[in-house]
Parts: sequence; C-alpha cells; structure tokens
Amino acid sequence: MGKEDLVSNNPLRALGLEKEDGSDGRRVGLVMSRAGLGKTAILVQIAMDSMLRDNKVLHVTIDEDLDKTRSWYEDILDLINQEKKMANFQQVVDEVMTNRMIMTFKENSFDTAKLGERMDDLAQQGIFKADCLVVDGYDFTDADSIAALDGLKAFMDKNELKMIWFSAVSHRDDDRVSVNCVPAPCHEIDDAFDTVLLISPEDKDIKLKTLKCSEACSVDAEKALLLDPATMLIKKA
Amino acid sequence: MSVDLSNVRNIGISAHIDSGKTTLTERILFYTDRIHAIHDVRGKDGVGAKMDSMELERERGITIQSAATYCNWKGIDINIIDTPGHVDFTVEVERALRVLDGAVLILCSVGGVQSQSITVNRQMDRYNVPRISFINKCDRTGANPERVTDQLQEKLGLNAHMMQLPIGLENDLEGVVDLVTMKALYFDGNSGEVVREDEIPEDLRDQANEKREELLDVVSMFSEELMEVILEEGDIEPQLVRDAVRAGTLSLEFSPVFIGSAYKNKAVQPLLDAVEYYLPCPTDVENIGLDLDKNEKEFPVTNNADDSLIMLAFKLEDGRYGQLTYVRTYQGTLKKGDFIINVRTGKKVKVGRLVRMHSDEMLEIDSCGAGDIVALFGVDCASGDTFTDGTITCSMSSMFIPEPVISLAVIPSDNKAQINMSKALNRFTKEDPTFKTFVDHETGETIISGMGELHLEVYIERMKREYGAEVEVGAPQVAYRETISQRAEFNYIHKKQTGGSGQFGRVAGYMEPITEEEYEFVDKIVGGSIPREFISSCDKGFKKSMAKGTLCGSPVTGVRCVINDGAFHAVDSSDVAFQLASVGAFKEGYMKAKPVIMEPIMKVAVEGPSEFQGSVMGSINQRRGMIIGTTEEGSYTVVEAEVPLSEMFGYSTTLRSLTQGKAEFTMEFASFKTVPKSVSEELVKKYQDEKNK
Repeated sequence: MGKEDLVSNNPLRALGLEKEDGSDGRRVGLVMSRAGLGKTAILVQIAMDSMLRDNKVLHVTIDEDLDKTRSWYEDILDLINQEKKMANFQQVVDEVMTNRMIMTFKENSFDTAKLGERMDDLAQQGIFKADCLVVDGYDFTDADSIAALDGLKAFMDKNELKMIWFSAVSHRDDDRVSVNCVPAPCHEIDDAFDTVLLISPEDKDIKLKTLKCSEACSVDAEKALLLDPATMLIKKA
Repeated sequence: MSVDLSNVRNIGISAHIDSGKTTLTERILFYTDRIHAIHDVRGKDGVGAKMDSMELERERGITIQSAATYCNWKGIDINIIDTPGHVDFTVEVERALRVLDGAVLILCSVGGVQSQSITVNRQMDRYNVPRISFINKCDRTGANPERVTDQLQEKLGLNAHMMQLPIGLENDLEGVVDLVTMKALYFDGNSGEVVREDEIPEDLRDQANEKREELLDVVSMFSEELMEVILEEGDIEPQLVRDAVRAGTLSLEFSPVFIGSAYKNKAVQPLLDAVEYYLPCPTDVENIGLDLDKNEKEFPVTNNADDSLIMLAFKLEDGRYGQLTYVRTYQGTLKKGDFIINVRTGKKVKVGRLVRMHSDEMLEIDSCGAGDIVALFGVDCASGDTFTDGTITCSMSSMFIPEPVISLAVIPSDNKAQINMSKALNRFTKEDPTFKTFVDHETGETIISGMGELHLEVYIERMKREYGAEVEVGAPQVAYRETISQRAEFNYIHKKQTGGSGQFGRVAGYMEPITEEEYEFVDKIVGGSIPREFISSCDKGFKKSMAKGTLCGSPVTGVRCVINDGAFHAVDSSDVAFQLASVGAFKEGYMKAKPVIMEPIMKVAVEGPSEFQGSVMGSINQRRGMIIGTTEEGSYTVVEAEVPLSEMFGYSTTLRSLTQGKAEFTMEFASFKTVPKSVSEELVKKYQDEKNK
C-alpha cells in the first residue's frame, strides 16, 4: 500500500471540485463557517490531498501554536489509517510530511510582504518551494489585509503557486451575504476567490457545501457533504 | 522540623536554561535566613551561587546536578530541589518531579515559554505535579509578563492567570500589585528584604480592578463559597480567594502566575507566600505504591508517621562526606540507628547518620517522618530503590528512564587513570541511570553513553577534576539500531560432528517486524519437533543474535521470532546445539527480511532573532534536517526541526558563528528512523572495514 491509499474521501473531490485543486490553473479558495465548526480540519484535508499528490504545501497559521497545527495533521492521518490500517503507515507519513512546512505568526507579526520574503528565502536556499499555500486565521475584517488580496494573483504568479486556500469566520448575528451567498465579512470580496466552501450546522448535522466555484466546475446547490462532528471527516453515506 | 504535614512543602524549581532558577533559589535562601549574603551565578565575587555546589556548575553558570535544600518560611518547612535546565540532564528533572509534591515553573519575562519550558511542563504533567509560575527577569529590556502568561495558556495549555500586576517594568520595575489583597508591594532595604505594603498607585488602579475581576471570575469556579459572595456582591476576604486558587491549583485546573526579578530582589517573598498558600503539602497528594505481595497491586501510601516505613531513594551522591543517598519518606518514621531493608536487593542496612541537606552542607537530624526529604549515609543502593522497615513489601512506581542516544570511547592515559576512571564510572552510573558504560569486547575500549554531547562532556570533565582520571576521548558515536522491514522465513540445521558427542538441532519458522516491542519470541511448535526443554534455548539464541546486527554491528530491535518446526537428535541435541541453530536461523532469516539501519532523530528547536531565520534553516537543511515549522513572534523566531543526531555534533559552534551568538538551541530525542541509503551504505562499509582489519 502506498500514499495514494490515504487519499480518502477528500472534500474537493467529493464535491466534484477536483479541478479546483490547482491542477487546472491557479486557484484561490476559501472555507467559511462560524467559529468552532471545523474550518482548520477542512483546510488540513485539502492540504493533505495536495501533499499526497506530491505538492509541497506551506501551511501558514496566524495566532495559533505550531504543535496544535501539527497535531491536526497527525490526528487526521491517524483517523484515516484507522480505516485503512496500512502496514507501512509510519513510513508513508514520514514521506508525506516532507511535503509540508508550517509557519506560524502572531497576528501582529504577520503581513503578506513578510510571508513573501520568507518563501523567497526558503526557495532560494533550496529548502522548500511551496506549490500550495494554506492560510488559516487571515484577518478579513482588517482593511489592510483586504487590500493585500488585490495582489494575490500576482503573488501566486511570482511564487508559482498552484493554489491558496484561506479560512474565514462568519458570525451568526451578521446576515449580510453576496450574490453567491458568501457571508460577511467576505461578502464584498468574493471576487477574490475562485472557490468558496461553507460549513454550516443543519439540525444535528454539520454540512459542507459549495457556494462558488470556477468555470471549470459547477456548483451543485443540492450537493452537500455530511461531516462527522467528532472527526470532521466526510461521513460515509 | 514540624510534625504537622500541613506545614511541609516539597517543591521543585524547574525551567528553561538561564531563566534564573539558581538566582531565585539563592534569594529564597537569603530571605529565609539560611544564608547571610547573596552570591550571583556568575558573580564578580567568584563565590558562585549556593546551589551550584559543583565546581563545574559554577564555571559554566548552569546547574548540572540538582541539589536539595531546606528552608523555613513563616513556620512552613520547605524542601527545595533545584533542577537543571539543560535537556541533557532531564533525568535529574524527572527524578525530582517524582518525589516532589509541587513545583515552581520559572520563565524569563523576555524569552517566555521556551522549548525546555515545554519539556519540563510535559514532565510535570506526567507526574501530575501542581505548579505555580514565576515570570522572572521583569527588569530586563523587553519584559512582558502578560505576553508570557498568554503563552502559558496557548503553548502549555495551562489555565494560567496573573496573581499580580507589575509596578513598572524593565528598568522601572518597582514592585507588584497583589490582586488578592489589592495592595501594592515594594521591596526595600539593600537586598529587598523589607516588604512594604502600600496603596495601589493611582495610574494602576483601574487596570488592577479589571484584572482582579478577571481573576475572580476564573477562580470562583473552584469555590462555591466565593461564587456566592461574588453574586451577593459582598466583601471578598483574601483567604476565600486563596482557598479557591489553592483548590484550582491542586486539581491542576488552574495555575497562578507570579512576577518579579530575583536578580533585582523584587517580589521573591510573595512567591514564598504562594508556595505556602497554593502548593500542596504531602497529604494533599496521592502517591501510589506497588504491593509486591499482591502482584504489584497499586495502593495509596498513607503519609502516616505511625505506619510502616516506605522511602524512595531518588538521588545518589558520592561527595566529600562519602556515599550520600537522598530519600523521600512516603509513610512511617525513620530514626537514626534504625534498620531498613532495600526491597530490590533484600539487604538490611543500618542508618548510621541522617541529615538534612542544604546544598553541600548538612544538618544532622535524629529522625524524619512521612513527607520528608532527607539524606542517608553509608547506604548502598541504586537510584530508584525503595526502602521499608521490613513489615511491608512494596515498591514505589518506577521512574521513566530514556535510552541513551550517544556514545564515545574513553581511553585512560595510564594505569592510575584506568583505576580512577573505573571508580568514577562506577559512581556515575549509580547516580545517573541515563549514563551507561560498557567495554567493547572487540576493541577493548571503554564506551560511555548518554543523552547528549553536553551530558557526556560533563562526565568526562568530572572524571578529570574529581577523580584525577586523565582520559583521551574518541569521536562521539551515534547509537544506531538495526531492524527488519519485512517478514522472512528461516529453516536452519546446525550439525557438528567432531568425534565424541556431536551437536544437532534444526529450527524453522519466520521473523517479522513489530513496532510495539523490541523483541518477541513466539513458540508455535506442535508435535514435539523441538522438545520442550530446548524451546528456551531457541529464545536464548535469538536474543543473542539481537545484540548485534550484521549490517553495522548495532543492536537489532523490533523483531518477532516465531518458531513452528524443527528437528532434534536423541543424543546430539543439546541446549548449546539449539542456541547455535537459532543463531544460524536468525542470520538466515535476517538477510532475507531486508534489514535496515535506524538512527536517532532529535527534535531540535532553535530560538533567535528573526533576521537569522534564513541561515538557521539553511544550517538545519544542510544537516539532513526536516524543518517542521517556524513560529514568528515580534522580532523573535523559533525554528523547529527533526535532525539526525549524527549531524548535530558541533552544531552549537556553527550556530554561534551564524547568528553572532544570538541564537540558542535545545534538542531531545524524538524517535529512531531509517537512515537514507547513502548513509546506510557508508555505515555498512565502515563496519566491514573495521571487521576486516
């Protein structure tokens, strides 16, 4: 068994959004939900899918602990392995983890220019050249951070990034939405994203659905994935 | 010494290197009248701090061995173990935590929660040690105790809250505001010995009220009485708050944070008060013993002075007073002249002298009771041994001891050095279970092994200084391991006919990799193809083979050997014949099972200014390291990586020159991982060359 066996029920593939993974041109994605519903878990699953297909993923976390971010990956891999029971699991994990690097910033230490500098440095020294970027905790309420999104495509071109995925927190008491139903605070900037996924609680379930995608795919308003609230992995039908 | 155990505190002081543990201990001893002058760790007076009693410790300015001391603060007897900050000496920290009831975690107000703080905190979690934190060095430029408290919450997951507010910071540090009594505390006199209570400065009043509210909100969860008073908006007595904080601390659900500067003599006395108020006395903690008469059934020790004696030896020293054994008494009373029994060896020994240690000085005492930490003379034992009065057969839980990861050869310069070296090694191995020594039978060299370069360096220095043993030292060697990567079958016949009775044995079965254990032997013989009396011979043969792999001569781990067939001869089969057959079978199976070499991988954390981040990462990358990630906070960055130990030799020098001495690193063993093919080939070649010499 190899690492391809760990690519299991990935959210993008399960939603029919496999072309949104950067293999069909640069893509910018966003996962939204209210606090505590599992944005990081979805980001990690998207990152892991990319890593398992030999892409280098730089996971940027703002205001979160490095060990905590790392344990997300370990927990999700363990869960997948509980199902797959691979004999050479550790060997596969060791191999896959060489495709990941985590950078954590305190909120006041983070800006995109600094991130660019760090990425340049890593690439120039031949240490790590990211293909994909995952940014967890970006502040979409801050005017400067929003303005920085204008340069996103140029940033991706410069760094030859296939995709960037962000997470954003929506609030129960803010019902503003864009035409694509993208909630605040991202309702006025949904043009910046090719793909937007929303995690929402419905009755006793937690669902993941597509709000927006690029022309290469299509939004199926009826299609929603059920997430296991304990693991945040996709529930088997 | 008071008999009332509620007036006893056994505490440890643990922290990251250079956080000021020893300086703080020095101040504690001064304020409790145990010493009459303060000497700093690297002080100009050349005396050195009291607790750094080893010459080498004073020179290097770090604590290597933990020293035990005792003091009395406002009627409370406090036994203090000052523990080392360097990760190589972790076993000292672990041992101290095993016998202590509570701990003070010291943090630097600038460096905050550093890698070793995380290690120490994890160790405290392992032994369920209630802890309070002291954010030291608040006089330093960049001091930010609030940020450090946030880190305690985020990085260590502690429910940590400040019990005080600083009055000024950095050069302007004047004192602290006590959020329980809502008074300002200043420390007057030449050495801060006069504590002056005053009103809270006007400009801090609002902030103090706000912080107190936050504190009460959190600690009221641990006291219904306090909650009621808050809800009824009544007057809140300080004692009520203290009781709530104590309850939270003892249940490990709350961790109070104190601030100050030991070096500037600020706010050490309130910390001593906190030790009394919030850390447990021996009866607050449940210690578990193992009843050896009942198949090691766990039982709680009673802490009762009238019950059978139970003591744990947690530290041995062979100083100028002879062999000294530090013990913690869990129950019963020990008097001078009593006979005690070492449960492991069954030996009965008489306690000639009983002393209370104060670093390298001592006070003779006549008896000690439950909860005490004292030292005995002339008691031969190993660290971790349990002593009783003979009326009970039990052992205190064993301590977690990590395996050594690095070794080097030591060659004595002459015969005298050889004798002295033997004496030294004999003592060191008794004192420190992570330090091991053996003679390599092929080279005849004495090999010492331990937890890191510094660990071994210190012992070599001690050999020279304390025992006058001049030794030459070989290059450090990494403790490699071999293992198999797939299942393989074996079927081997050992047959020897040399006149007289011969040797015959056939052993068949398979071997397969396992991760849970180092070695497992499974007997699946049916029908007596190998007679019962020779099954253990097969086990012995396999075990013997595990000691040395064929790739690079390192020990083999992670192998399950299963025998399912064989043959014997009525006359020629013997224990030796089946042992040799198993050795042959192992060899046969081993080469088919695709053996690999594994090397120790260290978890490395490099902390330094962000401007050097690129060069630090480059240096790790060059050392086959895998960078896990970076944490950037202000102008400071921590790079975390996993790096093979073999690549870390001399890294401190490299790091120093790369970062103008502004970065530091710590490392600890993480796991064994398979070496890359090129390294493996090199190791195999080297081993073959040595064998063919």
